[in-house]
Amino acid sequence: MPSRYLLRRLAQVLPTVAGLLVLNFCIIHLAPGDPVIALGGEHGDAAYYTFLRNRFGLDRPLPEQLLTYVANVLRGDLGTSFVHGRSVTGVIAERLPATLLLVSTALVLSSVAGVGLGTLAARYRRRPADVALNTAALLGYATPSFWLGQVALLTLAVGTGLFPVQGMTDARNPQTGLANLMDLLHHLALPAIVLAVNELALTTRLVRTGLLEAFGADYVRAARAKGLPEALVIRHALWNVMLPVITVIGSRAGMLLSGAVLVEVVFAWPGLGRLLLSSLLSRDYPVLLGMFLVISVGVILANLITDLAYARLDPRIRYQ
Amino acid sequence: MRCRRITVLAVLVLLAMWSLGFGLARAQDAPVRGGTLVVAIVSDPGHLNPAITTSGATHAASELLYNGLVGRDERGDPVPELAESWQVEQGGTVYRFRLRDGVKWHDGKPFTASDVKFTVEEVLLKFHARTRASMGSLLAGIEAPDDRTVVFRFKQPYAPLLYQLDATEAPIIPRHVYQGTDPQTNPANSNPVGTGPFKFVSYTKGTEIRLARNPTYFKPGLPYLDSLVMRIIPDLSVQVLALENGEVDFLWELPGPLQSRIKSDARFQTARTGYHPGGSNCIMTMSFNLDRPVLKELRVRQAVAHALDRQTFLSQILFGDGKVAAAPISSEIPWAHAAGLAMPKADRAEGEKLLDGAGWKKEGEGPRTARGVPGVADGTRLSIDFLHFPTFAKYGELVRQQLAVVGIGVVLKPLEPAVFAPTVFKDRNFDSNVISYCNGPDPEIGVRRMYHSSQIGPAPFTNAAAYRNPRVDALFDEASRTVERDKRSRLYRQTQEIVVQDLPYYWLVETVSTRAWTARCSGFKAWTGLFAEGASCRR
Repeated sequence: MPSRYLLRRLAQVLPTVAGLLVLNFCIIHLAPGDPVIALGGEHGDAAYYTFLRNRFGLDRPLPEQLLTYVANVLRGDLGTSFVHGRSVTGVIAERLPATLLLVSTALVLSSVAGVGLGTLAARYRRRPADVALNTAALLGYATPSFWLGQVALLTLAVGTGLFPVQGMTDARNPQTGLANLMDLLHHLALPAIVLAVNELALTTRLVRTGLLEAFGADYVRAARAKGLPEALVIRHALWNVMLPVITVIGSRAGMLLSGAVLVEVVFAWPGLGRLLLSSLLSRDYPVLLGMFLVISVGVILANLITDLAYARLDPRIRYQ
Repeated sequence: MRCRRITVLAVLVLLAMWSLGFGLARAQDAPVRGGTLVVAIVSDPGHLNPAITTSGATHAASELLYNGLVGRDERGDPVPELAESWQVEQGGTVYRFRLRDGVKWHDGKPFTASDVKFTVEEVLLKFHARTRASMGSLLAGIEAPDDRTVVFRFKQPYAPLLYQLDATEAPIIPRHVYQGTDPQTNPANSNPVGTGPFKFVSYTKGTEIRLARNPTYFKPGLPYLDSLVMRIIPDLSVQVLALENGEVDFLWELPGPLQSRIKSDARFQTARTGYHPGGSNCIMTMSFNLDRPVLKELRVRQAVAHALDRQTFLSQILFGDGKVAAAPISSEIPWAHAAGLAMPKADRAEGEKLLDGAGWKKEGEGPRTARGVPGVADGTRLSIDFLHFPTFAKYGELVRQQLAVVGIGVVLKPLEPAVFAPTVFKDRNFDSNVISYCNGPDPEIGVRRMYHSSQIGPAPFTNAAAYRNPRVDALFDEASRTVERDKRSRLYRQTQEIVVQDLPYYWLVETVSTRAWTARCSGFKAWTGLFAEGASCRR
């Protein structure tokens, strides 16, 4: 295992995160808006807003606020939420599992189904199945997830009653054990499918294009000439196609997180996406900064994992 | 003879049918004990302590856990709650409350007068924006001479007190839980203890709040429901789908475009109310910046008022769910609302005449041109900006369309609330805007701030117009000191007559909230935060 490579990459992560920390702080504080308006409501007097500003340290000079924030982060303290009145770490930790579940399910769904459908389209090139899959992939890629979510709610949830409209669990009849797991999966199905559609379409198209290119390569022609079964030929070709597909899947993890914001609102899924939106509207700076940090680290780690996956897929790649 | 027998038989059958029907109706009307009510709320409240915030999200989610000293009935009048009676003494300078006996907190400790004194002095006056802004400087002190007596002493007669003591304006929290702690970070904010009809069970952040029946509630027999779930669903249209799908039972806010669908469905019931836990009795109001030379001229403001057809705002934006504002004070505060006031009528010709008279001449297409307007260079086009929250974009569109007809150009500037407030109230960088000014339960709380000259910035949602009229200031000051309602009513009427003449604002439409619930449930009190105190659901 390229442990030195890994250590070097991890060492690069630290200055990147530090830079992001300062950049995020500056962007948030330079954007117009005043958190005490959201906190104080519309009926306060001037003294009340001054009191709030002082309480949350918003009356101090910006460089001083930045230094305090960085010092706190170095001690592992992401601050206290203006709105929730609790530690940012706690607020984010409560929401993270729901988003991870939604995003990872969507990622697995889109990757597995995308590879399968892309292979199918390449295998039956220019036949009706290929044309249908290509058209569906184009539509799926062009469809905004919030719109697709609304349509899915109207047709599959309210229309057929097959799926619930909102939430992670049934509010009226809370379950335990296996029944709770089944209830969770039932609620997860529709938002995960909606979130996966964009990525599924992209992966399908990538795999199809890659396989068609591979089918013209010498090693595939040689395999076919040797009389290898077609399934085995496809397996060989697919292994070579996976490199760009993995790259795209890894780099799209961040995009999937941003897509989760809209899907979580539509399906009332209690994850980070909804927290991000509400914190943005109320200018809850500590929560916003904490979430940006978590998301940034998530994207950096996804890219690192992608790089490490290369070596597993392609023996020609060596880490130095 | 035979005919008589048939008649008697028929009467008996009818009587039997009637009594059976009546019995069934009675059975249907009688509250059913038990069951779970699922209520949709828009936002995650963050915490469940309504005494430290005026946030609608927290109040909607938590008021059923608490009580105020005084409640409000359907007409908005004070009714006993934690206080069983009260006396107003020394011309409104002293309020003496007698508390109910035997009220217990959810943790079993007795509720006493010291809880009231602590809540008001240590929490509400520091953290509840409306209480702090309205009575903060006028309250001389609170006394608790014994466990069942609370005395509020003011520096001068203070009229609106009884309208600001309900669970929305002054929820009482337990001293034994909060004393000696920071009320904003006390863990009880997420694990609350109240006296209300429901007890706290769990709060899953971002998902739901679960409450259970308080078996020792001080109102005999209440509540009927065994449990209540506040489910957080941020999108209002998804809330409606969840109601139709049977996943939730009660919606706080039925959006206008979906009202006809729900109202025509026998499975659901609806009710309109001006009450909202974040701010009641709201009027969508266009503010004119009186510091700007163009809008300082009364005739221009009058022209704007004549050019706007407020009925269109009601039908196209609110889908009829509200009222055209008939006076500057909401009709939901009937004793203060000046009914029958002569408001400017939609009259385009009159608007054009006023603009001509003010020196704004029509010269070809587009906005009018200044010819001899004081403080404005000749040749300047008549164009104003109009600031609004993104959610009020439709108001901006209608204002732009209707003012263009009389030759006033409008530049729309959508700004989200956190940016809108400092732009308007601190920087005063605007010509006109639209604000949902919520009058609250008493004009002293939500109306005075719009007109009194002491309320001109920088605090948000105060006197946006920068209106200054010593006579109006004096009338508001007198009304706040006047306890007799008839006399207050007359003072507010005079005030409204003057401001309609001066027109620092133009009052467009009164907005109301429409609650919706499944028809198998009944007994809701839509006008209060304790809305499900007497609710019950058939299984």
